Amino acid sequence: MTQTALLAARSQRAPGAKRPKGRSRLARVPRIIWVFLLLPLAAELALVFWPALNSFSLSMTTWNGVGPAVNVGFKNYQDLLTDPIYQTALINNVIWVVGFGGASVIIGLALAVALNRPRRGIGIYRSVIYLPMVLSLAVTGIFWRVLYQPDGTLNLRLEAIGLGFLKHQWLADPNTALYAVLIAAVWRQVGYIMVLYLAGLKGVDPALEEAASVDGATAWQRFWRIVMPQLSGVNSIVFAVTVIDSLRTFDIVWAMTRGGPYNSTQLLSTYMFQESFTVLNLGYGSAIAVTIFLLAIVFIITYLVRATREES
Amino acid sequence: MNDRITLSRRGFLAGTTVIGGAALLSACVGTGGAAGGGGASGALTLQSSLSDPAPKAALASVVKSYKGKVTLNTVAIEQFRAQLSTYLTSSAPPDVLTWYAGSVANDYASKDLLLDVSDLWKSGGACANFPPALKALSTAASGKQIFVPTNYYWWGIFHKKSAFAEWGITQPKTWDEFLAVCDKLKSKGISPLTMGTGSTPWVASGWFDYLDLRVNGATFHRELLAGKHSFDSTEVRNVMKHYAEILPFIDPNAPSYSWQEAVTPLVQNKSAMYLIGAFVTQSVPTEQVDDIDFFSVPTIDSSIPSAEEAPTDGYFASAKTGNKKGTLDLLAYLAAPKTQQDFIATSKSSNLPTSPDVNTSGFSPLVQKGVKLLAETKEITQFFNRDSSDALQTTADTALTKFMAQPGDVSSILKDWQTAAEKVWKA
Repeated sequence: MTQTALLAARSQRAPGAKRPKGRSRLARVPRIIWVFLLLPLAAELALVFWPALNSFSLSMTTWNGVGPAVNVGFKNYQDLLTDPIYQTALINNVIWVVGFGGASVIIGLALAVALNRPRRGIGIYRSVIYLPMVLSLAVTGIFWRVLYQPDGTLNLRLEAIGLGFLKHQWLADPNTALYAVLIAAVWRQVGYIMVLYLAGLKGVDPALEEAASVDGATAWQRFWRIVMPQLSGVNSIVFAVTVIDSLRTFDIVWAMTRGGPYNSTQLLSTYMFQESFTVLNLGYGSAIAVTIFLLAIVFIITYLVRATREES
Repeated sequence: MNDRITLSRRGFLAGTTVIGGAALLSACVGTGGAAGGGGASGALTLQSSLSDPAPKAALASVVKSYKGKVTLNTVAIEQFRAQLSTYLTSSAPPDVLTWYAGSVANDYASKDLLLDVSDLWKSGGACANFPPALKALSTAASGKQIFVPTNYYWWGIFHKKSAFAEWGITQPKTWDEFLAVCDKLKSKGISPLTMGTGSTPWVASGWFDYLDLRVNGATFHRELLAGKHSFDSTEVRNVMKHYAEILPFIDPNAPSYSWQEAVTPLVQNKSAMYLIGAFVTQSVPTEQVDDIDFFSVPTIDSSIPSAEEAPTDGYFASAKTGNKKGTLDLLAYLAAPKTQQDFIATSKSSNLPTSPDVNTSGFSPLVQKGVKLLAETKEITQFFNRDSSDALQTTADTALTKFMAQPGDVSSILKDWQTAAEKVWKA
């Protein structure tokens, strides 16, 4: 819509005329464009910002969805500080951002570099690796839950290759459950990251690499000194996508463990859901949601600041 | 030329705006209407949480035979639980809703959200002949009835008759006999007890409830769940001592299974017994259902009055219904003996009818045994979450699954449980 608006706005301007300034420029934007700009803005305000603001005020109350909400000030936030489950969830979220982000970016980039050169059957490899992305996270979760079952494929395979002593109840042991879910999530995400990097690699000038190679640069040097700097645009997109994806992770954990065993795989998002919608502590749940928002906004603002600085 | 293009583009834009605006408006109307409906003349809305295939089909067929017009909305139970308060507080709520008797219903009743259905409980009403225990369960603090129970089920230790015969085992009556049976089974390489606390950790509360009922009795159990006793007390510690006795006999895979998955080892004779609700027969292959039998959790202290868990399902109605007469009529229809019988028969569960006028002679011997169990027991409770709240249930899930993994840490687990429970009671 914005694009249409820009096009339309441009067509209004007579070619060669002086660039109109300030009010006069605004006044020349046709009314219909305003409608198109303001309608989505109104929808965004009403359906996104207004509920978001509501959840801020809700986080200052205790409310179970019925009757009036009781104002309690910052009590919910104070309770969060001493809530052991919240602390577990927070630590798990840090593990998740680092593990999920790190693993999917490293593996995704490695795959993209490996599959960048045209080779026979390369399309098949790319599609196969991208394929998990097509599945919904809930389906991925159920699929991996079956693999991890006590008599599931993973344990049977381990036994078949003589590693029976490694057999384990992967999702039932608090020491392995979070990582078992993490692997499933990374399995799905790498295809996406790979495609982003493949697109980026298409924009890398091969002549530069050839020149470097003529000058005697090793493959490793060529990659870090020639290719990587040219990927910086893709890098920032991947960074933003990964951080946002890891903070909003919910479905796969819910499908695989529901935050159990005894809250050991609880993430902020699953704990927020449990408090808000299973237990109906809407005030407390909103307080958790606000902290998720604050964490996300810190990352996104740093990212935006960096991005604009680089552009200028 | 240029002008003409601009005009046509404008026309196009204006046109899209109108269409878009209309779509937006109709979307708003749609969301407003979808929540409820049921004006004085229109169809009644029945919001159902029965999303399992068999009960869903059973309710649909029952509703179809009703003389009036009813719109049946089936919602997955998780979502239903989360949105129940939204349904009831919306301006056009569904007229009738499926749910449980007990704390949640009473809580809504205290906020005047539920329709007074006392008329159905007066003599000549559809619920007039229901047992007094069910009437007490359906009565809110105000003294008015707000719930229409239509079926309930019992909990017990389920097993296969053929398997018990093969292993030379008879149903134990006392706790010591029960432990001896478990020992014998374990020495044969059979896991004595199956369980599924993976994605359904609430199952662990089944044993907790029963052991508390057997060790401390129903009165203490109700008071404990109401916050009048501490989970970090001698009585509860005593319960956990008995719980610890059965831990070695529980299938080691229990933490990975859901309650449905835990049925498989029972069916395959890899596991012998399963403490679960009568709904378990839904998950047993049809040809094996007749082989299923059960016994009550054995007595531990004979001075404690007998008690059983019997969760009660049924319907309540919104106080804001636009058609009170029609709503009461639909409730009366749903509570009628014939409707109860049809529903139970089609839903394949082993639920019991709440109406004494249902002819149970056609029911399976298993169900008749269940009827007898509940008729003879002195005390009836429902289940942990129904006797307390879903919030307290999550504290029990954490404490009990952790206890099953680390029984040595029982002291710190009970202390944490009490801390978490106090937060719930204070909220």
